[in-house]
Amino acid sequence: MQDISLHLLDIIENSVRARARNIKLRVINSPRDNRLRLIVEDDGTGMDQETLAQAQDPFYTSKVERIKKVGLGIPLFKQNAELSAGTFHIASEPGFGTVISVEFPLDHIDRMPLGNLKATLLGAIIGHPEVDYSIFLHYQKPCKEQFFHFETAAIKEELGEIPLTYPDVIEYIDQSLTEGIQNTNMEDV
Amino acid sequence: MKTLADLKKIREKAQEEMKLRGGKVRVKIVVGMGTSGIAMGAREVMKTFLEEISNRNLTDVLVTQTGEKGLSSLEPVVDIIEEGKAAVTYGNMTPDKVRKVVVEHIVNGRVVSEYVVATGS
Repeated sequence: MQDISLHLLDIIENSVRARARNIKLRVINSPRDNRLRLIVEDDGTGMDQETLAQAQDPFYTSKVERIKKVGLGIPLFKQNAELSAGTFHIASEPGFGTVISVEFPLDHIDRMPLGNLKATLLGAIIGHPEVDYSIFLHYQKPCKEQFFHFETAAIKEELGEIPLTYPDVIEYIDQSLTEGIQNTNMEDV
Repeated sequence: MKTLADLKKIREKAQEEMKLRGGKVRVKIVVGMGTSGIAMGAREVMKTFLEEISNRNLTDVLVTQTGEKGLSSLEPVVDIIEEGKAAVTYGNMTPDKVRKVVVEHIVNGRVVSEYVVATGS
């Protein structure tokens, strides 16, 4: 994976596969604390302690249909965080869901770029209409804070039976996300 | 700034269109979004499908994302599912190939056989 937003997409796909119906995403770009933080919270099936330990092991996967029994998503994300002096935490509870929290020092020379956050979010929102997303983007400077909040449930309610793949809807979500990403300075992190 | 009022207008417009053509989904596109797919460029494939749907105003097409199916060496993988026809799986997809599949297959109904890696299922 070349950037953090690709890892984020991979984590979201894990949540969907764990039958999450609500996914909360928080991205905090904080020059104030020299941190880039991502928090992903889902209400999927969750994992017990044993599975949770295995999830961080590259030779484990929950994908039973697969012949090749390796799951590199979580171990790679963890490795990429730790290689740039960041941290990776995962907590899970069967029946309640999973929370992943990843932190990078903003100015570390080996930190991956955030990458195309909009492409990740747009694909995840439209590609999984069964999931309601709650997205918070937060920019923190010593003297200034900017927020962006996006709830897909409100959009779906307004649209009724019109699918998210309707052309004008794609454009609407695309433009909303673009504005939010610009306002919170996440285009070029 | 986009507001929910904009959505109300979109909904009214879409409802008018649906009345005219019965609101049926003609083509379903499924983009494989497992770890290896993502690493090989599946996000850009998804993004290009969404751009093409929006630019060409394709109102009878659905796109979804799914996990891996064991075709890792052929990622990014895309299924095109049309009612009453065998599903077509395209492999090693790129944004350029997506644009071609949209014009040839989805708009004009001709399968782009050079990109096909599986059919049926």
